Amino acid sequence: MIKHHPTFELIQSYVNGDLPASLSAGISIHAEMCPKCQQHISQLTEQIAAVSFEEDSFDIEYFEESSFEENSFEQLAEAGDFKLNIDEMVSNITQSKDITQVVSSTEKCISFNNKKYTLPRALNNMQLDKPVNIGKLSRARIQLSENEIHTSLLKINPGGGVPQHTHNGFELTLLLDGSFHDEQGEYHKGDFIMLDGSHQHNPVSDQGCLCFTVANGALHFTQGINKLLNPIGSFIY
Amino acid sequence: MQTNLLSKVTNDKSIPMSDSIDHPQLCQWLKAVAETRDKRAFTHLFAFFAPKIQRISRRKFPNDAQANEVVQETMSNVWRKAHLFDADKGAATTWVYTVMRNVSFDMLRKIKGNKEDNLSDDIWPIAESLQAEDSSFEDHLENKQLLNVIENLPEAQQQVVKGFYLMEMSQEQLATHLNLPLGTIKSRLRLALAKLKVQLGEKHD
Repeated sequence: MIKHHPTFELIQSYVNGDLPASLSAGISIHAEMCPKCQQHISQLTEQIAAVSFEEDSFDIEYFEESSFEENSFEQLAEAGDFKLNIDEMVSNITQSKDITQVVSSTEKCISFNNKKYTLPRALNNMQLDKPVNIGKLSRARIQLSENEIHTSLLKINPGGGVPQHTHNGFELTLLLDGSFHDEQGEYHKGDFIMLDGSHQHNPVSDQGCLCFTVANGALHFTQGINKLLNPIGSFIY
Repeated sequence: MQTNLLSKVTNDKSIPMSDSIDHPQLCQWLKAVAETRDKRAFTHLFAFFAPKIQRISRRKFPNDAQANEVVQETMSNVWRKAHLFDADKGAATTWVYTVMRNVSFDMLRKIKGNKEDNLSDDIWPIAESLQAEDSSFEDHLENKQLLNVIENLPEAQQQVVKGFYLMEMSQEQLATHLNLPLGTIKSRLRLALAKLKVQLGEKHD
């Protein structure tokens, strides 16, 4: 049962296309597993689309009245601040005989310690680095070129965890498989967990799990000997 | 008939459609582009959407040239992907919005990160139309599976099944064609179907 969902603001930015690819993929993957959010996204898209395309005065009636003569588009073009040559663009576009065929892309897989996972569709064309192991953690970086934002697949092997830490920025953990728990409770497949610098946690996975993680700052370890790990905090997430 | 027409709900979506957009007209134009590559319908769509796309894009992109590129690219996609639009799954505005949003997203990534990885269609499959595409693709696979099962039938039964279902011949035509009594055709068909049911049933369990 999925208990943690993206906020309304995040979903709205997602629908607008304003989030970075990393977070957009996170919401897309979550929605694929969460019918509730999927429906929410569909409705919001429909609303935003309708509002976007109705907000100015170019009315369809304009054409119906003008009985659609060739020059009606020219008039239209002059009517607004629209400086495109409609006729030329239309004839360029319609010259193309191409029809885009949808090919269902092949599934992309990744192996961590010989366990093979099929990756969500959103990651199909993303470039994945080879997994790097640190104790019971394995991490494969996803190369998205988003500067300070780091995106990874993080595998926690059974009994493993990430030491008590805070975040300098935000940290998204999306559970793709398995479960883990921290001070706040238990998390399951599909949970979308967004944390910021005000949270401290120490996630542990008894059975092991695979997460999609996005973070825009290094982890900051806060407890005892683990403080020694701080230099590698940026290495994990 | 009359009552049927009246009771038919055209679009049972929960979102109230605004009156200022003629949604059925937009759908009709998109269909005309998809089905008959209708340039005039496309011109209507272009005149409706292009100025709006340009205006929306000017908020996301710093200059006219880039905003115009979004217009060009979005409308090209509308021309090439119109067949993916499914009026039962949502409004034309939603579909075009999705196409535009995806074009802008990929372009912004290209400008900001110098990445030409075109991730948008993986992140936002072109509205629900992709799902429709998927399901017809699955049907296609099942057809294949069905054909395999048919190939395993005894030759005599295969002939009848293929003739009846794939070539859509009538049982009478098959009897004449195969020079067999009609009763034989009927019983072979019945036997074959019983076998198909068992085999397909097993696989579906």
